[in-house]
Amino acid sequence: MTSEEIIEKVKAGLADAIQDTDLPQGDAVIFVAPDSWHAVADFLKNDADLKFDYFSDVRGVDYLLEEREPRFESVYQLYSIDHQHSIRVRVGIDEDNPSVPTVSDLWKGALYPEQELFDMFGINVEGHPTMERLIMPKGWEGFPLRKDYPLTTETVTFSYNRDFKSDLVKSKPPTR
Amino acid sequence: MGLIDQAVDALETEVDNLKSNVKDAVEAMNYEYSGSLYDTVLTTKLGKVVGWAQKNALWPATFGLACCAIEMMAMANSRWDAARFGAEVFRASPRQADLMIVSGRVSQKMAPILKQIYDQMPEPKWVISMGACASCGGVFNNYSIVQGVDRVVPVDVYVPGCPPGPEALLYGVIKLQEKIMMEAGTDKAKKRVA
Amino acid sequence: MSVTDQGLLHRDKDTMTLNMGPQHPSTHGVFRVILEMDGEVVKTAEPEIGYLHTGIEKTSENKRYVHVIPMTDRLDYLNPPGNNLAFCLTTEKLLGVEIPDRANVLRVIMCELSRIASHLVWLGTHALDIGAMTVFLYCWREREMILDLNEEISGVRMMTSYIRIGGVAKDATRPWLDGIRDFIEYFPAKVDEYERLLTKNPIWLDRTEGVGAFTREEAINWSFSGPALRASGVNWDIRKAQPYSGYDNYDFDVPVLNNGDIFDRYRVRVEEMRQSRAIIKQALESLPEGPYKTPDNKVSLPPRETLHTSMEALIHHFKLVSEGISVPVGETYVPIEGARGEVGFYIVSDGTNVPARVKLRAPSFMAIPGMCKMMEGCYIADVVGIIGSIDIVMGEVDR
Repeated sequence: MTSEEIIEKVKAGLADAIQDTDLPQGDAVIFVAPDSWHAVADFLKNDADLKFDYFSDVRGVDYLLEEREPRFESVYQLYSIDHQHSIRVRVGIDEDNPSVPTVSDLWKGALYPEQELFDMFGINVEGHPTMERLIMPKGWEGFPLRKDYPLTTETVTFSYNRDFKSDLVKSKPPTR
Repeated sequence: MGLIDQAVDALETEVDNLKSNVKDAVEAMNYEYSGSLYDTVLTTKLGKVVGWAQKNALWPATFGLACCAIEMMAMANSRWDAARFGAEVFRASPRQADLMIVSGRVSQKMAPILKQIYDQMPEPKWVISMGACASCGGVFNNYSIVQGVDRVVPVDVYVPGCPPGPEALLYGVIKLQEKIMMEAGTDKAKKRVA
Repeated sequence: MSVTDQGLLHRDKDTMTLNMGPQHPSTHGVFRVILEMDGEVVKTAEPEIGYLHTGIEKTSENKRYVHVIPMTDRLDYLNPPGNNLAFCLTTEKLLGVEIPDRANVLRVIMCELSRIASHLVWLGTHALDIGAMTVFLYCWREREMILDLNEEISGVRMMTSYIRIGGVAKDATRPWLDGIRDFIEYFPAKVDEYERLLTKNPIWLDRTEGVGAFTREEAINWSFSGPALRASGVNWDIRKAQPYSGYDNYDFDVPVLNNGDIFDRYRVRVEEMRQSRAIIKQALESLPEGPYKTPDNKVSLPPRETLHTSMEALIHHFKLVSEGISVPVGETYVPIEGARGEVGFYIVSDGTNVPARVKLRAPSFMAIPGMCKMMEGCYIADVVGIIGSIDIVMGEVDR
């Protein structure tokens, strides 16, 4: 199925759960709210024509510098092995109490990336068996990939880094 | 007036240097001549023999962390044979090794383990910091990489490169061997064994 | 945290806790597995990662696009051109720039050479872990030939950064092409030699056949990719499913086997080495004349000769070197078939010359939970074989 057909099928099956759709550079992208994400995922996996049985990845994005609401977004990439098509789902997450339901009951491959969402952004994934630090040391404070966490607290004289002159670097968060 | 002050300062620093050098030289003389001639000559020569034995049988502990580990493996392989310099037996257990080649970037999570492995090695032990990331943090100046492994363990030889070619690491091992020979039989070698 | 604090020291359990720590010769990097064992049999395997976390994703949010390319080299450090290609393809998709044919062919040659080099490291270290040290020495001998070719074309043995946005860094040179021709004449006999040493070896078969088997449904559900997925019977190769860089012009097979155990993964990768060699041979024969990078000077540097005569070229050169390329607002993802599986970068651009978010989809990272599920019920000796056969690289797991 082409990207347009995928979007048509998804809109036909889940009319009110889809907030928006997009076709950037030929990819199929749909926008979903966190509350309806699990139902959408169920539909995407089990519908016979779509059959997205392969979970490729979930990434978190922090849109603090672009100052848009919602601040966070978790972007899911799904493939179908049999039909050989793919879809991208963008779930916008609010800044206070960020949370999104888990899909690790549908795709076991989602376990680790969702734990990384928590570790790097502080997005709580409801229903996930282990909401702990994965990549950062246990007991680390702060969520490194958020835009208000500076890249480094080492004092350097000069740097090409984009956040070097910003106030972010002046404030030093606790590290250990 | 400024020039005279500068000249006075320079003279003072020269005199201070001479004084501290004289102290070191007198200390060395005392050490050398404090025992009997038999004792000092034999100890130094024996020290040289021990140093020669140590440098020709450096056993590295496998501490390959990242990309530099691949070049370390290449050094141990047939093209740049490290076995001809005695460093072929890569011991998995640090208790049986005397050289730790820190090859790769050390993250904040790994630093305590690096220290633990270093502590587990018996003395005398040497550390080669291989690559830019181990020497100074390398390309990564951020929250998660220790900016130089000498913040955690004392380093003897730094090998620059990203990753250093096996020939560069081999040169580092040879330089370490020269260092061992230079220190052999002297105070410094004695300080390595607590 | 000490073992006692982590609650790992219980006297009322009937299993033994064995820590296969981050410093271990067979964990292929700094990977920690905490094994609960009943005698020799592993009951559960709990992985712990993060010992090589480098913060590359956050560093990339502060560097210009061309400066991110050497960072990507150091992610999956056994297949640097693959990472470079994934990043460049994603950026070029956002830019909407066309890559000339010669550049595509050179990219394919570089990626396939690197795939062979990565599989040689895999075979050498996997065989070394299981006990066959000869294969380790033989594989590195061939790898040295590929690294010499890398050094010829880019100056660096491993982290070449040869593939750039808009094309490649430098045109193919005569010694490089001759070296590749010699290599592809020399290589098939060597693959036969490795197979002669291992494939029918009773010790190898005992250690690898039937161990760590994963069914087709499990492999898909646990998001495996690459050779581990194809050894479980799933015919999914991104070079065939979503072709990029002209891969649909080459005639090659994708090996797919059915048992999903260590032995099948070994056979899939050895056959992939042969197929990569066939792709390189076809690419060399079809290498077209033309530019080696896109003529669009807003993306790639203009040729040096034109800097003497053309004002626009000078201005483009200055802008590109000082400010870098500016990528339009958007987000996209392009997967490629790396040596370990599906590699891809998800890039979000905010219109400036610095990316807003760069996320690597690492095949080894996605494979770790499945790999630890595979270890349950195996002997302790099989754990080493399983880790080797999934071929994880901690650089891309921890990023």
